[in-house]
Amino acid sequence: MKTKLTFCILLIVTASTAGCLGTLEEEIELNCEVLPAGHEDDGKLRILSYDVLALSDSMIDEFTNQTGYEVEFIKTDDAGGILDQMMLTKNAQQADLMIGLDNTYLQTAIENCLLRDTTYTNNENYQNISSTAMEPYSGPLAIPFDQGPVCLNFDEDFVDGENVTEPTSLWDLTTEVWQGKTAFPSPITSSPGRSFMVATVDYFANDADETTDAFDWWKAMADNGAIFTSGWTEAYETHYTGGYGEYTDGHIGDAHITVSYCQSPGVEAYYSGNYTHSTSLVLPKSTIQQVEYTGIINGAANVIAAELFIEYLLSPEVNSLMPENNLMYPVLEGYGLPETDGYNFHSDIPQENANINIETINNEMENWLEQWQSATD
Amino acid sequence: MIVYSQWIVIIGFTLLTTLPLLYAILRLTSVTDLTIFQALTNFFADDDTISALKFTLLEATFSTAFTLLLGVPVAWYLGRYRWRRIRLLRALLSIPFVTPSIVVAMGFMMLIDPGGLLDSVGIDLRLETGIIGKLAALTGWSNPGHFIALIAAHVWFNLSLVMRFLEPTIATMDRTWEEQIRFLPAGRTGFGRVKHLWFPLLAPAALCASCLCFIFSFSSFALVKWLTPNQDNLETLMAKSGGSAGIYNYRIDTSEVVLSTSLVQLLILSVAIVLTARIQKKHSSIHSIVAENSHQNRDSVGNKFAIMTITSATCFALLPLALVGISSLRIRNPRTNDYYYSTEAWIEAWQGNYSATAIPEAMYNSLIYCIFTLIIALPLGYMISSAIARLEAENKPKTAQIVEFSSMIPLALSAVMIGLGILIGVLQLAPSMFSWMIIPAIPHIIITTPFVVRIMLPAIRSLEPEYQEQAALLGLSPLRTWWHSRIALLRAPMVVSGALTMAFSLGEFGASWILVRSGSWDSLSVLVDQLMGKPKFDPLIQPMAMAAATTLMILTFVLFLIAERFRNVDEGSGF
Repeated sequence: MKTKLTFCILLIVTASTAGCLGTLEEEIELNCEVLPAGHEDDGKLRILSYDVLALSDSMIDEFTNQTGYEVEFIKTDDAGGILDQMMLTKNAQQADLMIGLDNTYLQTAIENCLLRDTTYTNNENYQNISSTAMEPYSGPLAIPFDQGPVCLNFDEDFVDGENVTEPTSLWDLTTEVWQGKTAFPSPITSSPGRSFMVATVDYFANDADETTDAFDWWKAMADNGAIFTSGWTEAYETHYTGGYGEYTDGHIGDAHITVSYCQSPGVEAYYSGNYTHSTSLVLPKSTIQQVEYTGIINGAANVIAAELFIEYLLSPEVNSLMPENNLMYPVLEGYGLPETDGYNFHSDIPQENANINIETINNEMENWLEQWQSATD
Repeated sequence: MIVYSQWIVIIGFTLLTTLPLLYAILRLTSVTDLTIFQALTNFFADDDTISALKFTLLEATFSTAFTLLLGVPVAWYLGRYRWRRIRLLRALLSIPFVTPSIVVAMGFMMLIDPGGLLDSVGIDLRLETGIIGKLAALTGWSNPGHFIALIAAHVWFNLSLVMRFLEPTIATMDRTWEEQIRFLPAGRTGFGRVKHLWFPLLAPAALCASCLCFIFSFSSFALVKWLTPNQDNLETLMAKSGGSAGIYNYRIDTSEVVLSTSLVQLLILSVAIVLTARIQKKHSSIHSIVAENSHQNRDSVGNKFAIMTITSATCFALLPLALVGISSLRIRNPRTNDYYYSTEAWIEAWQGNYSATAIPEAMYNSLIYCIFTLIIALPLGYMISSAIARLEAENKPKTAQIVEFSSMIPLALSAVMIGLGILIGVLQLAPSMFSWMIIPAIPHIIITTPFVVRIMLPAIRSLEPEYQEQAALLGLSPLRTWWHSRIALLRAPMVVSGALTMAFSLGEFGASWILVRSGSWDSLSVLVDQLMGKPKFDPLIQPMAMAAATTLMILTFVLFLIAERFRNVDEGSGF
C-alpha cells in the first residue's frame, strides 16, 4: 500500500514542479508573415468549420467536378471552436480554409495572424456583397459568406397579449412574470450567446438610464432565475418552449424566451408547413447582425484550392442556398430568404441593430466576459 | 530476454499513460503560470469548480449505493438458482457495461422523454411535473428528475459489475457451509448467517464492485452531458473548457479550470484505484478459496420473487437499447406532428447527407481504431499480466503490486485529459503526425489495456508452470513450447479481452471527442454526438443520430457476444 501511495505522490510531486520549470516551448513571435504549410499538400482541400454548416454532398461534388480538388471537413462545435482549433494548431495548421468565424471572433483571429490574404477581393462578385455584410470587416483576410441578426425569440403561446404582454424593454424580463422562464446560451461558450451579450452592451449604453449597464441587467436576470446553458442547442432545443425542441427527446421546456436568430421563426415555419408559435423580439439595439466569414488559414498547404472554394461559396448558385443549408441569409445583393412555407414571412426584420465595431469587441471581450461571469455567478 | 522485454513493455506503457498527462499538466502550468499547489488552491476558491466537485461526489456516491442495492439481489438470484440459458441471461444482463456511453445517454433520453414510457406511468424525470415536481417543490431540490435519471443510467451501466463480482462467489460456494453454520449458535438466525457467513464472503466482492462503480460514475461524461444539462461534473466541466485550454495568451481562464480540475480528479481517483486494488486482492483470495472447495451448486428453479427480479433486471437492461433502435425508425411529420415509421433516416445517415459523415465511413474509422487498439493493447496487456504473475511467482509481491498499480493508472485519468495531452504533445513533438489517422487510437490503447490485464491476470496466475516444463520435454521449439503451454491455454481469456477491447474502443467517447475533432476521422460515437448537436428543425436529424447509435450498438453487441461465448463462467475478475 505504501509503495503504491509513494508512486502516486511521486507522480503528483513531479508534476507539481512543472510550474517552476518555465515554459515548455518558446512561442514563435509572428509578424503576420505567411507561414509555411502546416501539413503536406496532397491535393485535398481541408476545411475547418462547425457542425452546423450543411453544404450538401451534391454541392461539394460539384466543386470537386469543377476544380478537381477533393474536400475534407474538420468540424468543431461552433465559431468559438474554430478559433480555438486555429489557435491551438497555430504553428502546424491542419486545414487550408476556415468557414464560420463570426464578427465577434474575427478580430482575435486577425490579431493572432491566423489568416492570410485572399485574392477574392479582386473578383467581380466581391462587389456584389451587401453593405451590411461588409460593415464589420471589409479587408482581404476574411470574406463574409452568410449573415443574420441575433435576437431574442419568444413563445407566442406564453406571450398571449392578455396574461403576458410582449416586453417593451429588456428590463421587463427581470419582472416576476419571467422568473425562471428565460434561457441564454453562455457568451463564453456559445457564438450566438456572445453576439447577444455584445448587443446588450450597446443596448444599455444607449438607453435612458445612465446609472445601469448591461451587466446590471445580466445580474438582475440571474437573480430572476435565468437559465444559462453552454450552447445554443441546449437553450433553444432543451429549454425553449416556442421551437422544435418540444418534439425532441430530452426537451425540458422551462423557458419561454431565448437567444436565437430573427429568422429562426421563419426556419420553424419552413420546416413545419408554414406554422410556428415562435417570434422575435426586435427592440432597437437588442439585436445584432452576425456576419460569418470564410478565410484562408495562415499555414494553409493548398491555397489555390482554398481560393477556388471561396469563389465557389460566394457564387450566386451556392450562396443563394444559405437559407436552406445554413439557416442564414445570403450575403449577395439581391438574394434573401425564400418565400416557401412562410420562411421569409415569419423572419422578423430588426428595427435597429446594436452597433459595436469589431476592434472594440476584440479589445473589450475579455473584460465583458469577466463582468458577465461575475454578474451571473 | 523475456524479462527484459516485459520490463520494456511495462515502462513503455507507464510512459504512454503518464506522459500525455504530464505533458498536459506541464503545458497548462506553463500557460497559466501557476504551480500545482496554486492551481489546487484556485480550485477550492472557485464556486463553479466546487459545485462540480460536490455534484460529482454526490452522483458517484448515489450511483454506487443504488447499483449495490439493486445489483446484490440480481447477483444473488442468478448465482443461487438454476436458470435455463444462463449464459444468454448473463450476457443480456451484462450488455449495459459494454454499451457505448453515448448510446446509453440516447436510450435514457428516450426513456424519460415527455410522453415516453416513464412519463406515461406518471414519472416525469425530464420536465419534472407530477410526483417529481412535487418532490422538487417540497424539498427545494432543483432538478431532482435529472439527477434521478442520471443515477438510473449509472445503475443501469454498472449493474453488471456487481453481478460479475458477486455471482461467481455465490454460485460456487459449497452449500454445506450454510448447512453447517445453521447448527452453530451464531448461524441460527438469518441475520446471524448474513453476519457470519455471507457478509465476510461477499463484502470484498461488493466493495470491489462499489469502488469500480464509483470510479466509472465519477468520470462519467456522455451521460452527464446529456442527462443533467443544468449541472456539470468534473469531466464535463473540463471538456467544456478543453477546446481552448493549453494555448498561450488566450483564454487562460479555461486552462486554469482544466488544470485544477484534472488534478483534483486525479487525486480522488488515485485513492479509489489504490482501494480497489487492495480490495480486489482480498476478493480474489476469498473467491479462490470458495471456488476451490465447491462445484456449481445451485438450488433448483428460482421462486417467484427470483424470477420476477431477474426478468425485471433483464427488461431494465434491454429497454433503453430497444428504444434507441425504435427511435431510429420513428419520424415526426412536421406538418401534422404525427409520427410514422420509416427507414428514411437510415438511408440519409447511411449516405451521409446533411453534411454529416456517412455511417459506413464513421464505422470504417471506428473499426480501424479498434483493430489498431486490439493489435497493441492485447499483447501489451498479456505481457504486463505475465510480468505480474512472474514477479508473484518469484516472491516479489511489492514489485508485482507496483506493476499492477501502474497498469491501472489509466482508470484514474480523465479521458479528456489524455486526449488533450496527446493533442498538445503531438503538436509539439511531431506536428506531421497530426494528420496520421491512427492518433485517436492511442487513448483507446491507454484506456483498454487495464481491462486486458484484469482479464488475463487471473488466467495467467492459474497456469501451472509444469505445462511449460512438459512441453519443453517433448522437444518442441521454444516458440511452440510457448504456444502450447501458454497461448493455447489462454485462448478463452484472450478472445474475451480482445473482444472487450474492441467493444470499449468502439464506444470510447471522451478522448475521441477531443482528438477526432482535430482531424476529420469521425468515429461512430462522435458522429452520434455531432448529429445530436445539430439544430433539429429538420425532423430527420434526430432519427439519423439514433441510426448511427443503433449501428454502434449492434457492432458492440456482436463483439460482446463473441466475448461471452468464450468467458469462463466461474471466474471472478469482474469483467
